[in-house]
Amino acid sequence: MTEALQFFLISWLDLKLLGLVALGTFAGIYVGAIPGLSVTMAVSILISFTFAWDVYPALCLMVGIYMGGVYGGSRTAILLNIPGAPSAIATALDGYPLAQKGQAGEAIGLSTVMSFVGGFIGIGVLAVAAPFVSEFALTFQPRDYMLLAILGILLVGSLSGESLLKGVFAGALGLLIGAVGLDPLTAEERFTFGMVELWGGISFIAVMIGLFGVSEALTQLHHIDKAAVKQTIGRIVPSWRAVGKYLPLSLQTSSIGVIIGALPGTGGDIAALMAYDHAKRVTKKPEVPFGEGAAEGLVAPETANNAAVGGAFIPMLTLGIPGDAVTAIIIGAMFIHGLNPGPMLMIEQPQMFWFITGALVLANIFMLIFGLTGIRLFTKIVEMPRAVLIPLILLLSIVGAYAVNNSITDVYWMLLFGAFGYLLKTYGYQVGPVILGVILSRLIDENWRRAIISEQEDLGRLFMGIFTSPLSLVLFGAVVFIFISQTPLWTGLRARFGTARARGDGV
Amino acid sequence: MKTLFTGALAALAFTAAPALAEYPEKEIQGIIQWGAGGSTDTVMRAVTPHAEEMLGGKVVMQNMTGGVGAIAVKFASAQDADGYTLLMGAENPLLYKVMGLGDIDYSSFVPVNVIARGVPILVANNDAPFDTLEEMVAYIQENPNEVKFGSTGPGGLPSVVTAMLQSEIELTVTAVPYDGDGPALTALQGGAIDVMPAVLGASIEAIKAGRIKPLALIDTQANEALPDVPPITEAYPAFETYLPWGPFFGVFVKEGTPDDVVAKLSEAYAAGVENADFQQLMDDRGFQVMNISGDEAQEFLDKWQSVTSWLVYDAGIAKASPEEFDIPRPE
Repeated sequence: MTEALQFFLISWLDLKLLGLVALGTFAGIYVGAIPGLSVTMAVSILISFTFAWDVYPALCLMVGIYMGGVYGGSRTAILLNIPGAPSAIATALDGYPLAQKGQAGEAIGLSTVMSFVGGFIGIGVLAVAAPFVSEFALTFQPRDYMLLAILGILLVGSLSGESLLKGVFAGALGLLIGAVGLDPLTAEERFTFGMVELWGGISFIAVMIGLFGVSEALTQLHHIDKAAVKQTIGRIVPSWRAVGKYLPLSLQTSSIGVIIGALPGTGGDIAALMAYDHAKRVTKKPEVPFGEGAAEGLVAPETANNAAVGGAFIPMLTLGIPGDAVTAIIIGAMFIHGLNPGPMLMIEQPQMFWFITGALVLANIFMLIFGLTGIRLFTKIVEMPRAVLIPLILLLSIVGAYAVNNSITDVYWMLLFGAFGYLLKTYGYQVGPVILGVILSRLIDENWRRAIISEQEDLGRLFMGIFTSPLSLVLFGAVVFIFISQTPLWTGLRARFGTARARGDGV
Repeated sequence: MKTLFTGALAALAFTAAPALAEYPEKEIQGIIQWGAGGSTDTVMRAVTPHAEEMLGGKVVMQNMTGGVGAIAVKFASAQDADGYTLLMGAENPLLYKVMGLGDIDYSSFVPVNVIARGVPILVANNDAPFDTLEEMVAYIQENPNEVKFGSTGPGGLPSVVTAMLQSEIELTVTAVPYDGDGPALTALQGGAIDVMPAVLGASIEAIKAGRIKPLALIDTQANEALPDVPPITEAYPAFETYLPWGPFFGVFVKEGTPDDVVAKLSEAYAAGVENADFQQLMDDRGFQVMNISGDEAQEFLDKWQSVTSWLVYDAGIAKASPEEFDIPRPE
């Protein structure tokens, strides 16, 4: 135990390592805040950059960037309605309305503290229950991923705003966009019209930047002469009472974050959206309705996406299986530095596990410090005149879209989806479900096919499988319950028999 | 920002040095065919810094993924044949023609160095009702279609190994496709699939930890990394005609690149591969270092293409006959 503590504290006691974690976290916050500059990209550039370094300093920098970057995405989501990263999409839903009311400072303060809480819960689970959680994550079969993706698709109900029908249309469109490109399982061309440029599919980041960034800039042109919202910066750090009040919710949403983060193939973006939906479901009486600036709508995604960071390290450190794209790159970096990440790492090199855990805690603390100190300056962004702000948004969007793959095609896609997003918004369609569809498209497509191929293309066997596995049964029950709860049938049943009876029907 | 900087630097180099200056007079672009963190990426990012020392220039590496690697190949072949664009790839392009994934393969390139080769291995879930290759064959023949083999899509390593097995043994299995060998090996540990033809390097840590069990090496001899695992030829000598076979990593430049540039690059990469740290990395990951260039590399590529194209064609997963592209049937 003392040995573990010793390894845990390596990065705390060495001034150089401490400085690198701080630097990484600081850089991560700004990388994360700019749409298109992603953590994945930053970490892969760092691999070449830190090649000649020792393994500890290299990891310190990467861990810092990862933690800071996941949090940084919320900045622009709150201030400009442009998520800096996919995992901040849900943050914009209630964060931006708060900024519009002049409460950007409070919103950022709350999101920072809650990211810190979520981050800690994620790391805590990593430290005490890593082997258990990774074994649990391994038990997910293709059919379970399929059910999880269907559960995700049902979030359309939470994201569609005034009209469910329009939301369903937008979600279906997203699924279609996600299907473009070479079929991931058979390499057949799908909706490519013979163009090689479309083989790789339409970049999801380009779609996101267009739908959120450019369409927002275009929408703002309507009131270009309106004075900017004056921000009142009062209390930035939320009171203990407020943190205490959201603690039960943040425990639940952090658990969602850890599990979704630990599952190979799903990451912070899906976790944050699911957590948002969960918050909407369990919060009976929000002080402010969801979508208009509910604090719960900010707490849920922010705790979940930072908890997913710790989650993603769980299968990576215990089994050598990456929990998401960033941990996949960190595994590559560890190989280059002469380590062999795999199930033996914990046994042969226990110091690595505790070292990374220690660096994560440190990064989480720095995230809180840097997050809370820059707020006054940041909120000035929203007070800028629109004639300056709108060109700036467009510029950032173009740079971001280009930077993802160094591809000018992505910039065209981004602009096209920007114009398209403007039309969607004008006619009352939400852009959230489109992005949801794109994110889940591959997950649902691949796993449905894997599941049915595994059962020799026999539906009966597939359902047998679902009903004989406790995990699948729970997920299936959740799908049915959430689906029914969104139909008029549910309201009718509730009126007649009460909640309990209807839940029984659902399962 | 980085691109801007590179551009400025390139412009500077261009104006400062006359056309006759010695190669490399500006930054070299390295196009990695697969994503960050994968085997190809790891190998290239590990060997290139050592090669740079010898080369006296900088190689800026970039991942260009998509289209089973075809997008990177297409991009590299569209650049000038001046040695300033390196294609860092794996074996896949040699199958593009027969798989209908485009008409550009390594025949439009010159090999700078074929760095290393992976050894395929058959691994199984610990709960699978067989412990050796013979037991597996017997079980599958008694229970056709019940055993699930992991796959990475037509033309991927698992599909070729499965085709190779099926060319000599009667095996009816269900192939479940995954995004790559990483996700498939994860699924193997979780029991979603029963058997996976994988690369030794990708599965070795899980084997050593006892999380999955090895059945046989798809090679002619045992491997130092796992001395107890029998080569397939021990039980089925007929496979000798196909072996040694395996995925590989190589650095290529476009055909038509000046000979002295190719020679200089080959020399640099040969020295890079010799580096002790890199050799250690290859050993740890279970790769066989090849370090060949010139005619030797070309011969290796031709044999690989001939054996594999005909295997996938005979197995019925190819879209076009190798004959159409003048790929001879192996003797």
